[in-house]
Amino acid sequence: MSFERAITTEANVLAFAPVVQTTSDAVDLELLNAFEELQADDGSDLIVELIDLYLADAPQRIIAIREALAASEWVTLKRAAHNLKGSSGNLGVRLVAEICEKLEHLVGPEPMAGAGDLVQLLQSQFDRARETLAAQRRLRCE
Amino acid sequence: MRVIIAEDDAVSRRILETLLSKWGYEVTTTLDGEAAWNALQEPGAPSLAILDIMMPGVDGLELCRRVRLIPASVPPYLILLTANNAVSEIVKGIEAGADDYLTKPYDRDELRVRLQVGARIIELQTKLAERVQQLEAALSHVKQLEGILPICSYCKKIRNDLNSWETVETYVADHSEAEFSHGICPGCYETTVKPQLESLRMSPSAT
Repeated sequence: MSFERAITTEANVLAFAPVVQTTSDAVDLELLNAFEELQADDGSDLIVELIDLYLADAPQRIIAIREALAASEWVTLKRAAHNLKGSSGNLGVRLVAEICEKLEHLVGPEPMAGAGDLVQLLQSQFDRARETLAAQRRLRCE
Repeated sequence: MRVIIAEDDAVSRRILETLLSKWGYEVTTTLDGEAAWNALQEPGAPSLAILDIMMPGVDGLELCRRVRLIPASVPPYLILLTANNAVSEIVKGIEAGADDYLTKPYDRDELRVRLQVGARIIELQTKLAERVQQLEAALSHVKQLEGILPICSYCKKIRNDLNSWETVETYVADHSEAEFSHGICPGCYETTVKPQLESLRMSPSAT
């Protein structure tokens, strides 16, 4: 079954979802913590800074994706998905990055068939990732 | 060496900036292609540039095309960042004027060594440009000596650009890197020096 067909029903959306079991699965913490080696000596925390940048930027991208979906502006949607994919991948927010990649590469005569389900999934996975990142941030700032 | 980053994604931009600073580069960041274009036109602009392909407004490809239209003795070394590793995408980037490309997500070590390649090429081009400048300066002197020089048929003085007459020796010294060591040729020795020496020997004071 193609991915496009798989996401056309709610049941199949759930079939895609089980790869995410817990909140901690939402973020590859090993990748995120690898930025430790780039820390500056000035007392600032690069990881906290990156989390803050991501959590400030990603919701805006998701809003842009939702608005583009509502307006059937596929180019805008794909561009926003592309951007979110990049920043998510960098910080180890892999499932969000994967969903963005699916959105970016949806093609066909009705290019956005299934896009609504994917955007819904994107929001829920981002919410999970946000919790994990916020928890990481709290830990680092203690 | 100075590097400019053009990346609209804040997270990616910050990571790049941190990496490059750690590797000893002097980093300038820009949020979009238009800002990068303005920065690259300034005198003393960065020699290395890392450009994201997909940016609002002026994208990475357009930026490469524009930069290549700027006449420069040392053109900047452009590295494109692309999320698409399809051959057609890479060809498009290189054709637009990029020197190199990296696909996202990139490996840090790969980025580091590719930047080193860029820095080496810039250093070579800089040395080459300096050499060309020196040669051009030398060539301009040679051209002056190649022109038609008005010379006196009798005393062999040359008329200079200020319309005054000067010796060949002075003129050549002023218009070239040549220096003179003084001696006597065999002909002059026979016709001038030898008679003078004989005349000295014959004079009463010599006895």
